[in-house]
Amino acid sequence: MHATERFPNLATAIVLAALVVLPFTVPATLASQIAIFATGALSVVLLLGAVGLLSFGQGLYLGVGAYVCGILVRDAGIGLIPALLVASLSGAVLAGLLGSVIVRRHGVYFVMLTLAFAQMGYFVVLAFKSVTGGENGLSGLPRQFDILGLSIADPLSMYGFMAGAFFLVFLLVQRVIASPFGSVLAAIRENEPRSEALGYPVARYKTAAVALAGGIAGLAGGLHVIFLGFVPPSDIELEMSQRLLVIALIGGIGSPGGALIGSAFYTIVSEALSEIWPRWMALIALLLIGLVLFLPGGLWSAGRRISALFERKIAHD
Amino acid sequence: MTDPILIADSIDVRFGDFQALSGFSLSVQPGTIHALIGPNGAGKTTLFNALTGARKPSGGRIVFDGHAVTRTSVHRRVHYGMSRSFQVTALFAALTVAENLRLAVQARYASEGWIFWRSPHRRHDIRDEVDALLAETFLTDRADTRTGDLSHGGQRSLEIGMALAGRPKLIFLDEPLAGMGIDDVHRTKGLIDSLRSRMAVLLIEHNMSVVLDISDRITVMAAGRKIAEDIPAKIRTDPAVRTAYLGSTA
Amino acid sequence: MSAQLLLFQVLNGVGIGMIYFLLSVGLTLIFGLMRFVNFAHGAFYLVAAYIAYAVVIWTGSFWWALLLGPAIVAVLALVIERLLLRHTYSLPHEAQILITFAVALFLQEMVILIFTPLGHNVPVPPALSGVLFLGPYVYPAYRLAVVGVAALVAIMLWIAIERTKMGSILRAGSESAEMVGLLGINVDRVFMATFALGAALAGLAGVLVAPLRGVEPFMSAEALGIAFVVVVVGGLGTLSGALVGGILIGLVQSIMSTLWPEGAQLMIYASMALVILIRPTGLLGRI
Repeated sequence: MHATERFPNLATAIVLAALVVLPFTVPATLASQIAIFATGALSVVLLLGAVGLLSFGQGLYLGVGAYVCGILVRDAGIGLIPALLVASLSGAVLAGLLGSVIVRRHGVYFVMLTLAFAQMGYFVVLAFKSVTGGENGLSGLPRQFDILGLSIADPLSMYGFMAGAFFLVFLLVQRVIASPFGSVLAAIRENEPRSEALGYPVARYKTAAVALAGGIAGLAGGLHVIFLGFVPPSDIELEMSQRLLVIALIGGIGSPGGALIGSAFYTIVSEALSEIWPRWMALIALLLIGLVLFLPGGLWSAGRRISALFERKIAHD
Repeated sequence: MTDPILIADSIDVRFGDFQALSGFSLSVQPGTIHALIGPNGAGKTTLFNALTGARKPSGGRIVFDGHAVTRTSVHRRVHYGMSRSFQVTALFAALTVAENLRLAVQARYASEGWIFWRSPHRRHDIRDEVDALLAETFLTDRADTRTGDLSHGGQRSLEIGMALAGRPKLIFLDEPLAGMGIDDVHRTKGLIDSLRSRMAVLLIEHNMSVVLDISDRITVMAAGRKIAEDIPAKIRTDPAVRTAYLGSTA
Repeated sequence: MSAQLLLFQVLNGVGIGMIYFLLSVGLTLIFGLMRFVNFAHGAFYLVAAYIAYAVVIWTGSFWWALLLGPAIVAVLALVIERLLLRHTYSLPHEAQILITFAVALFLQEMVILIFTPLGHNVPVPPALSGVLFLGPYVYPAYRLAVVGVAALVAIMLWIAIERTKMGSILRAGSESAEMVGLLGINVDRVFMATFALGAALAGLAGVLVAPLRGVEPFMSAEALGIAFVVVVVGGLGTLSGALVGGILIGLVQSIMSTLWPEGAQLMIYASMALVILIRPTGLLGRI
């Protein structure tokens, strides 16, 4: 992604149109899931597309956000919006802390660490069963929810809320990418030593990007809990990190819109195929291999931008 | 005699068992052009890396503009007033020439890079600086070209432009003229010569006629050590220099 | 904790650690030469473990499993290297990570397809099903045998790497694959061989662990995580790093499982976090 995406307004229009059309093409509950995981996938798209950092651990922050939101809603009785904000903040703070340590490592080392910390998150949940409910997850949350007086109990209103949340985050990510901050992230992605030589404190910028992505994932976790009415431990398992990554790759990391496309594709395919063939993930795996080799830009067809990323790296290495 | 802008004292750099620099000392006066010459492998770029922070020395001290910077990070040294160009072109290849320069200028305004809610192009002062740099490096007509598509000479000129954007007190130029055509060499030589009035220049360059013409002082290196340091006229005739370049039978 | 209990836990920890060493050494060797981390490493471990299960069920012989598991996985690795990985060497490392990750996913699904998502037990070979008495404690003979095999492999690897021509090519290649190519050595073949060796080692670990822990499809993710922790703690790229890292993590797990059982797994990862903070390149790492 470059600091000036070619047609940001067109992308926004497409995403908005897709969000409006979605509940008429798939059941509203499915549409809500699409929006929630699209939000989670935005955190991967931001890190990989904008900064060039591959993270196998965004599920950790989604999980943290989910547990924080669940605990707050169940025990502290605070409203949904504040709970979501705190969930998002927890994701951001944890990501900032972990990030400040791991951004100093480069290449595969960084990726390995994201996976290792994601695993760690799951074991934290298991170790502190009394707080987190361990393998059973967290239940006992109030099921009917209100947002500022409006109920989101019925599936369509729920979807409206989820879609709205996704759209806001989408706009934020677009804005960030097109801002001076985003231009620095792009510079770091293109040529890190040069960025440092120009005077940018690269580690600090990377940590900030990791924290922002963590906040986005944390928000997605909170949204998921509101949707489900309980906190499943699968939200913090490695599989969640992998799912968000797969969604982002299928959709295309060249643009934030890819998160929605990828999530729609993944969620609809999994819903359709899981009845027919339980091992449908094998097909997704094959698709991924094909994408990496032949269409790195994913479905959003930002292939040219990503191959530019690869070109730059080939010249570099 | 004014205080030197840069003092490097007994710098050692070691790669495993290989001693790249041994007890190297150097001082650069403000407002002068100081050239660094020597055969390939002498350690010139390694010295640049040590002075700018890209590689921490295993021994010695570096003082820049009164600051002790021996172990300071690269980006902090830039804010003290150092800036460098690279021997192997290291630009943002996928971005335009103008965007490359804009990023370089933006880095000087430390808080600008943290703004995440509006477009970078609102800053007219930064845009004006970029325009000035484009003119200075003769790249105005190629401002919107993708840097990777620029000619080699254009890329070398942009390298210098990126370093100038930092408005440094001392600019490190690593073989700025390498691979340039005759016209580019001439123009760039004029540019480097003109920098004297604004900053100090530490220059690695193999083009001897340019070096002898514009330098105020020349340091000669070989095998990680300093073998001579003087005004150009004296260096021209120094037998030790000749030996270093041409071998001991010359 | 009494001194005897502590000693027993230390022995246990070393035992687990040697298994972790076997699991991680292939990963670190592949990284050392080819400069990429094989995200399918856990999947090779998984496939070999299931091959062991299948062979034992169908033939009753664990020794055939010990032979076939690593061998089949090595062939599988060669096929993957030829067909897929070869095309990614000029791409940035993210491409290799993602491809091996996708391969891991695919292999996991295939295992579930063939063997169902349920776990299975693998019987210990009858020849090693006895116990040894160490003071008041009983120690399963099979466990000791596994430690012995791991130690043997460590020694053989060390000899192969430090003392043979192939090993010196490997070591030179770690410094510069380009240079090795310029010296006229077929770098492609060296990569292939190393990748297959790394996979075979993971496979060996899988076969050996099967009677201890049984087999289940999600052991690949767990194994990958542990392998990462071991190489981060010990240092990426060296045999000794995998050994030291493996034993240390084994010790942590063993001691913690008596002090705080629910937190034992967590403490493994917490140790990794500690090492990153104090010594980012790992205890014996150079990178």
